Amino acid sequence: MTTQNPESGDFRRDEVIAGEYVLGVLSAEDRRKVEARMASDRNFAAMVDRWQHNLASFDDAYEAVSPPAHVLAAVERSLFPPSPSAAPPVGFWNSLLLWRSLAVASLATVAIMWASMAGLFSEPQGEPLVAELSGEGNTINLVARFDRTSGSLKLTPVAARQTEEKSLELWLIEGDNPAVSLGVLPQSGEGEILVPPEMRTRFGEGSTLAVSVEPLGGSPTGAPTGAVVAQGTARHL
Amino acid sequence: MVDEEISALLGRVVLRDRDAFAALYRQTSPKLFGVCLRILKDRSEAEEALQEIYVKIWQRADRFATGQASPMSWLTAIARNHAIDLIRARKPVANAIDEAYDLADPAPDPERSAAVRSEGRRIDACMEELEKDRAEAVRRAYVEGLSYQELAEMFAVPLNTMRTWLRRSLLKLRECMER
Repeated sequence: MTTQNPESGDFRRDEVIAGEYVLGVLSAEDRRKVEARMASDRNFAAMVDRWQHNLASFDDAYEAVSPPAHVLAAVERSLFPPSPSAAPPVGFWNSLLLWRSLAVASLATVAIMWASMAGLFSEPQGEPLVAELSGEGNTINLVARFDRTSGSLKLTPVAARQTEEKSLELWLIEGDNPAVSLGVLPQSGEGEILVPPEMRTRFGEGSTLAVSVEPLGGSPTGAPTGAVVAQGTARHL
Repeated sequence: MVDEEISALLGRVVLRDRDAFAALYRQTSPKLFGVCLRILKDRSEAEEALQEIYVKIWQRADRFATGQASPMSWLTAIARNHAIDLIRARKPVANAIDEAYDLADPAPDPERSAAVRSEGRRIDACMEELEKDRAEAVRRAYVEGLSYQELAEMFAVPLNTMRTWLRRSLLKLRECMER
């Protein structure tokens, strides 16, 4: 095929070879020859592109399957080797101490907010008040929403310090089964997650709850795709 | 999954934005992992392939031209090509393109223009004009990355018959889409 002149060569044959390349039926060696020809012959490269474009509707046959988390980590390791001093030690986010101290810190913040808001709340009537509680370096913030009439103060975690808007999604994990979404935590601190009726019976002692950072609006795949920022096991009080 | 969103992420990847790359991975890796699994039929090989595919995507993001193709098709093509290269290396097949092609066919010559333009017909409509088993062979070759030999065994026809089936089918498809 390398001997063929693109202008005078067998046009039908070229069309077929371009199509065979896109179908994927050629040998490794033939594939390299086709690629070399594409690099040197724009007309031929356009034939390949056109087949690629035409046959791409077969891509619908590929089902989406979430890859295991270690793949992205391996990609990032090979593309961005860590500089010796960078990054917190491994296990930082999984440290029990971190979550305990974070919880204590959050409670302390809430208590302080509560005390200082007591004065504020005496002025305007009706409209609920909202405050965003954040701490240095946290992955999540808490949004507090106070409703004067009912006297309720709701706290909702939201994703913080992300380069783009993210959502936090709550997952239920039973044993070795894949995580099932319980819903996206509301960004506004307004409302709660209503567990779907069919899920309620599955929720019991020993169920694991986890929160992951997801694209705005929740995981696009139905399985957790982002970093898990918190998890714990349910037990009776 | 919105095409514009993936295009925008690819644009930021060109600017070496690592967060955009991670976001692109999260949005697109399940589909590309599906491609690897379907073609390689081995989970750990598919995981390794997916890793190599995203390294390529990072390196080649600047070759994606907005407006030319859907970004998802572009990414899927990278994944398919990589996975097909891996199985062809694992299970070598006979070279063929330097040999004679038997293309004697009732179909008239395809129009002599390889310019990418909007096709007269969708591939699906043209696939219906092929005989059923031939259309099935074309589709399985593409989706599963099968070789002529594997297709010949699957459809219980001689290797050369399968070659003729697919090559004539390609010409018929080309002719149909330009009609």
